[in-house]
Amino acid sequence: MTAPDGNPAAAPRQGRISAVGRFARLGFADASAAETGWRSVGLPDDAVLGLFAQAADPDLAVRSLVRVLEAAGPAAEELRTALTRSDGLARRLAMVLGASAALGDHLARHPEDWRELAAEDLDDTRPTAAAIAAELTAAGDPDRLRRSYRRLLLRLAARDLGGRLEVDDVAGELADLAAGALEGALRLAREDLGNAAASCRLGIVGLGKCGARELNYVSDVDVLFVAEPAPGAAEADALKAATALAAATMRICSGQTREGTLWPVDAGLRPEGDAGPLVRTLASHRAYYDRWAKTWEFQALLKARPIAGDMELATTFTDAVSPLVWSAADRAGFVADVQAMRRRVVDELPAGEAQRQLKLGPGGLRDVEFAVQLLQLVHGRADKALRVPHTLQALAALTAGGYVGRDDGTALGAAYRFLRTLEHRLQLRRLRRTHVVPSDDAALRALGRSLGFTSRPAQELVDAWQAQAREVRRLHEKLFYRPLLTAVAALPSEQARLSPEAARRRLEALGYADPAAALRHLEALTGGVSRRAAIQRALLPAMLGWFAEAPDPDAGLLGFRRLSEALGNSHGYLRMLRDEGASAQRLARLLATSRYAGDLLMRAPEATDLLARDEMLLPRDGAALAMEFEEVAGRHDDPVDAVTAVRALRRRELFRVAAGDLSGLLDVEQVGRALTGVATATVRAAFAAATAEVERQIGERLPSRLAVIGLGRLGGAELAYGSDADVLFVHEPVTGAGDQAAQDASTAVATELRRLLALPGPDPALSVDADLRPEGRQGPLVRSLSSYESYYRRWSHGWEAQALLRASPLAGDGELTGRFLRLADAVRYPAAGLAEADVAEIRRVKARVDAERLPRGADPATHVKLGRGGLADIEWTVQLLQLRFAHAVAALRTPQTLAALNAAREVGLVDEQQCTALAAAWRLASRVRNAVMLVRGRPADVLPTEPRERAAVAMLCGYRLGEAGRFGDDYLRTARHARAAVDAVFWSG
Amino acid sequence: MGKQEDFVLRVIEERDVRFVRLWFTDVIGSLKSVAIAPAELDGAFAEGIGFDGSAIEGFARVYEADMLAKPDPATFQILPWRGEGPATGRMFCDILMPDGSQSYVDPRNVLRRTLARAAERGFTFYTHPEIEFFLLESRPVGGEPPVPVDSSGYFDHTSQGQGHDFRREVITMLESMGISVEFSHHEGGPGQQEIDLRYADALTTADNIMTFRVVVKEVALSQGSYATFMPKPFTEYPGSGMHTHLSLFEGDRNAFFEAGSEYQLSKTGRAFIAGLLTHAAEITAVTNQFVNSYKRLAGGGEAPSYVCWGHNNRSALVRVPMYKPQKGNSTRVELRSIDSAANPYLAFAVMLAAGMRGIEEGYELPRGAEDDVWSLTEAERRALGIAPLPQNLYDAIAVMERSELVAETLGEHVFDYFLRNKRAEWDEYRRQVTEYERARMLPVI
Repeated sequence: MTAPDGNPAAAPRQGRISAVGRFARLGFADASAAETGWRSVGLPDDAVLGLFAQAADPDLAVRSLVRVLEAAGPAAEELRTALTRSDGLARRLAMVLGASAALGDHLARHPEDWRELAAEDLDDTRPTAAAIAAELTAAGDPDRLRRSYRRLLLRLAARDLGGRLEVDDVAGELADLAAGALEGALRLAREDLGNAAASCRLGIVGLGKCGARELNYVSDVDVLFVAEPAPGAAEADALKAATALAAATMRICSGQTREGTLWPVDAGLRPEGDAGPLVRTLASHRAYYDRWAKTWEFQALLKARPIAGDMELATTFTDAVSPLVWSAADRAGFVADVQAMRRRVVDELPAGEAQRQLKLGPGGLRDVEFAVQLLQLVHGRADKALRVPHTLQALAALTAGGYVGRDDGTALGAAYRFLRTLEHRLQLRRLRRTHVVPSDDAALRALGRSLGFTSRPAQELVDAWQAQAREVRRLHEKLFYRPLLTAVAALPSEQARLSPEAARRRLEALGYADPAAALRHLEALTGGVSRRAAIQRALLPAMLGWFAEAPDPDAGLLGFRRLSEALGNSHGYLRMLRDEGASAQRLARLLATSRYAGDLLMRAPEATDLLARDEMLLPRDGAALAMEFEEVAGRHDDPVDAVTAVRALRRRELFRVAAGDLSGLLDVEQVGRALTGVATATVRAAFAAATAEVERQIGERLPSRLAVIGLGRLGGAELAYGSDADVLFVHEPVTGAGDQAAQDASTAVATELRRLLALPGPDPALSVDADLRPEGRQGPLVRSLSSYESYYRRWSHGWEAQALLRASPLAGDGELTGRFLRLADAVRYPAAGLAEADVAEIRRVKARVDAERLPRGADPATHVKLGRGGLADIEWTVQLLQLRFAHAVAALRTPQTLAALNAAREVGLVDEQQCTALAAAWRLASRVRNAVMLVRGRPADVLPTEPRERAAVAMLCGYRLGEAGRFGDDYLRTARHARAAVDAVFWSG
Repeated sequence: MGKQEDFVLRVIEERDVRFVRLWFTDVIGSLKSVAIAPAELDGAFAEGIGFDGSAIEGFARVYEADMLAKPDPATFQILPWRGEGPATGRMFCDILMPDGSQSYVDPRNVLRRTLARAAERGFTFYTHPEIEFFLLESRPVGGEPPVPVDSSGYFDHTSQGQGHDFRREVITMLESMGISVEFSHHEGGPGQQEIDLRYADALTTADNIMTFRVVVKEVALSQGSYATFMPKPFTEYPGSGMHTHLSLFEGDRNAFFEAGSEYQLSKTGRAFIAGLLTHAAEITAVTNQFVNSYKRLAGGGEAPSYVCWGHNNRSALVRVPMYKPQKGNSTRVELRSIDSAANPYLAFAVMLAAGMRGIEEGYELPRGAEDDVWSLTEAERRALGIAPLPQNLYDAIAVMERSELVAETLGEHVFDYFLRNKRAEWDEYRRQVTEYERARMLPVI
């Protein structure tokens, strides 16, 4: 006869096999061991077994029970009897032993402590803090203190696991336990110190989770010690005694004894941290907090509470410092401090654990606590109702006051409670300070069962956890930003709303410089009942957060408003932004950082669709681009139409490169190549259109073959956003054509090409600059190949050879281009290198350029192009090496600066250190120049001086908010190192 | 607004303060002062007072001219020489950029940054300067030789008592401004005084030195004499140095002290000295920043010219003073090259940085010098591995120019400005024809 599964206890004793089977069905993982264990304890297979089977980890529970009974020896019988008689005791013991191996160890060490769980009214009795303290101060030595503490913990764990307590009640009682233990430890310390102890009063203030009565089972207990001389005692003696007492108290709690340890006591939140004295007087504390304290220290004080020792003194301390907390948000640098603190929180996360971490990381417990505290600091000055230390109570107060939306507040509260409960169960197992959820099934299963998931404990736990994590993930959006919309909402609402004044304060704390304007934009974007407003209401809370992380949040919000207006009623893009988180985030960063990219986007809002995926922001292949551009141009007969179409394509490609750059997908060399590709495609398409136009005008095929050669940064594939296209035009009359006709037609094409690309229009113009041609602006725009040949043979100047170093094919006749470049080789790579006199001449010209070209009033240290260690310095240095040695070193024959520099290093023309210094400075200066263009939307060659622009440029160069000063310093250092290399390589050598 | 600010505003009301001077220091070490009315203080505390940085030596250039001077309320004091009712107050300022971040051009910030780096390793830096200066009979007129107020020597109790009264009044005033004086006496040269400030953390000491210079000048003027911190005003008398005792603390423990080791000097202390010695030449342009500074270093006596250290050796660059039993916290090292005209913020910053580099890199301390290094021959010094300090400003600039340590410590902007300023000083000096040359050559050539 077999009992129904649901009622195992009623099953009669059967054979060995089926008994094991029954244990398996009861939920034991190792049924055979469990059965053997159970038989050894000599308890009947009745209701008691049923209770053990319900424990979080039944195998563990039985194993521990075996140990406890063995340890009890002769007294075991009493426990056995009690277990069979008292359902309550059996249930509590089973739950504790099944959830905590550490408490099992304790009971195995002190079997008689099972009586702690025997009281029938235990579940309904909540000990007062005073009762706890009384029990803990009665211990006569550190060992007994630990044992008393664990006994109390045993009772608490039983009630906690029995579901009799809310998670915050557990946390509160744990804080009482900590306070009591400190009181007990202090008493022991006083006894040890003897008479000297009488000279001081010592108060212990709890900070952090202990202060807020939201402690974990195991965590550091944060404290601060305040001391005063006892009446009649000298201050120096008193402080000495108090320091000894404080140190001893900490040691008694955290030291290892036979009974293990309680928890580490951390006094690191005191003034000056670990470098400061352990104990200070009231006056010394006050002086410190008045003068020196940092924002985070006030945040720590938010949770200060007198907990042990001289409570009157500790209370005086908290009364004195708590007003300071509420003025912290008015301190200079508050916003920057807060941002820095938040970064620290995120940075601390060890890689790899992120997925299983409860505490750290975005959306972790710490993040919730931090966000709540920040809102308290911002709004608590004006609203005293928010001045509560406890996270959940503070969240409730924020919700009640309308500072956080009601649904969001409730949901976050529930998520926080769940995560805290999970954390408690996790720590209870071994009484270790851990926040990493295990990944193996058995551990997950036990954890899930301890939380009350019974059918598929591991899976249910993971599901519930992920659901809560989803709730928390967009925490900042919910806590900080969504309520801002209620401040401008015109819709009637039952809920409390953020007042405009509070909204302004919050926007300011989040980094918006002009909160009033920001509120106006919000109002315009979210007002009304249109579809667009509805989408924007959903989108904005997150966008506001992303703007705030970028250098210019105000510009971001304004830009978004402009973009939204430009998009009008085409909701598609807005919907895409709403549904694809990544593109909205990119858009926010872009608008709040780059005027250049923002302006490109305003003219063609549909380019927003590029932001959807990383791949879309990678530069397109140059050949494919050129083909597309030429095809589009070919569809128009009118050259202006053709080039207008090409320029629209170019704008889209420029936006792609800029957005990729802003998203950190491209390094400066990739940006250079990408921009060169876009310019090349544009020139080629315009060249085709101009040729067609001239042929239409003269009514025949062009009487000349024509090629466009790229020079400068274009030739070197190192184009910047603001660069002109430096070119030369070369032609050769076709057989039978007259020289003059060929010259005229070629010049017409070149002129038309330049005109078309410079026409005013909505899309950025491309300035085609031919000033590097022979005789500069005095010379003819186009020359024939033979004319170049005779010119270079007779007249060539040093600077012309230098300019030709970067000549590369750009557009037009490929064969002619090849012959031109062979001609150029003779000039730029002179067969015998340079004569001493030529070298001296180039140096002299450079010296004159240095002296004359720098604009009046410009700072030579921060001019990225012409300044010390700037682009010109580096490029001239490399080019001089090329002119002198390229005839012998083939690798030097390249139009690219860095490639030539590397070639020079390989043959020892520059040493390793010089090469590194020059390359680093060239990259940084190029990067800065691009960043300035991106940020300002106009080119400039100096480090920006306006603070927000400087911050934005610094950020694009990889620095963080608030590091603009360090960025400036690093730029100057990099340039100085480059200058030293220039001195060694260009000016001597 | 915090309590400290409230306190300042209250005192201003109570003591009838009509003007508040906001003090800060330019790159060369000159004190700058902006006077504001008490009504403007609220704004100054909240946001700082805007000013045009381009008017200040070494401030403008990198970033445009707009800067903010933000008073540090903890430094508020009434200026005792301005009298009471109505009174004048002063505060030191930090220089901020318009976005509220610390400015890289502010010498006070240079020192703060360096202190913060040491603090990351758990160290606090304390200094204790012995400031020497001359009292002259009157403000010198161009070209005429200065006349000291007396003709006494080291520790003399002067009968005229002018210097004595002078020192008493200076000390009274300093203490009324919260600056403790350790010691004061008549120094070696006629009219030369020495006043030692009590040790304090380096930032406070640097502020105190700036205040000290003003107090000394004011008291001298009030007594009809003139005080100068020029490093070497007289060819025939010793110059005015500012021997500075340095120590590092870890919490309340002196990190230089180790019971039982040689001179009770810990490994940290030895590495710190090694750092000072290794980088001595590089930091000399900062500790001895004028053409005239090198005339003092060339003069022998108490001024060091050679890079070496010794226990109680008064000719060494770095001296480890006699250890006092029971006073483990008084273990310290004394740098003797620095003179009274240095910018204390920058000088303390480079001194600390040099010592810290020694600790970070674990430099080995060479053997101490036991002899009077002045009396050794060139060859003996070479044999002992004792190098000279730079002999003039030009040499000092040339060494500093190549120093990454100094560049990193000062920050690139201050580094660059300082070098440019000093090169200009040297260029101007080179063109001078001196009394010495005329006296030697005119009669014979």
